[in-house]
Amino acid sequence: MLLFRSEEHVTAWSEQRGATPGATLTLEQGWRLARAWFHDRLSPEWRRKTPEETEEVFAGTGLTGPFWRLT
Amino acid sequence: MVAASGDTAALDRDVRLAVYRRIIDEGLPPTAPELAGPLDVDAAAIEASLHRLEDAHMLSLAPGTSYVWMAFPFSAIPTPFEVRVGDRRYFGNCIWDALGIPVCLDGDATIDSYCPDCSEPLRLEIRGRSLLPAEGVIHFAVPAARWWEDIGAT
Repeated sequence: MLLFRSEEHVTAWSEQRGATPGATLTLEQGWRLARAWFHDRLSPEWRRKTPEETEEVFAGTGLTGPFWRLT
Repeated sequence: MVAASGDTAALDRDVRLAVYRRIIDEGLPPTAPELAGPLDVDAAAIEASLHRLEDAHMLSLAPGTSYVWMAFPFSAIPTPFEVRVGDRRYFGNCIWDALGIPVCLDGDATIDSYCPDCSEPLRLEIRGRSLLPAEGVIHFAVPAARWWEDIGAT
């Protein structure tokens, strides 16, 4: 997961590598995803999320569709 | 001491937390022998625990070793995702992880990276649990279902 200046730079970088761009998030989406994903990581009770729980986190950040599907 | 009881779940929890504590305090993860004494087990038990944690995708080890490489969101090696929190410097494994470091530490942070396309430096700032307006977008190249096929490249 990389930080680019803009969507145009994602496209140029992908074309240069002969790759199809994946999924692009706004910074605010990325921040919300980081908060949802890591907020409890240092808790002794933390456990890895199930695929279903992970999809719920994605969906809560507006990330849906085949790219984000785990189940 | 939980470790002496043969409770691997408790040992794995203690090892995981000790790895994070050392990274947060000193910027780098501990080695197995460094954890053995404080957790009252031998280094082989720590190494076995680290490998269980890797198998559970809770951390990642340097290939072929028992050395912690990634204790998500922290990286044990420098990356283009530098995170400063107070007077401490950390590295994220990717930009998502870099944003996760101030979440874990619940602190203000400055994240320095650069655009892979044009090499322009990019900076994100977290203040008061908010991301300040900045230039940039985040790109995920690999679909979520394939992240663990090569977590280092993801």
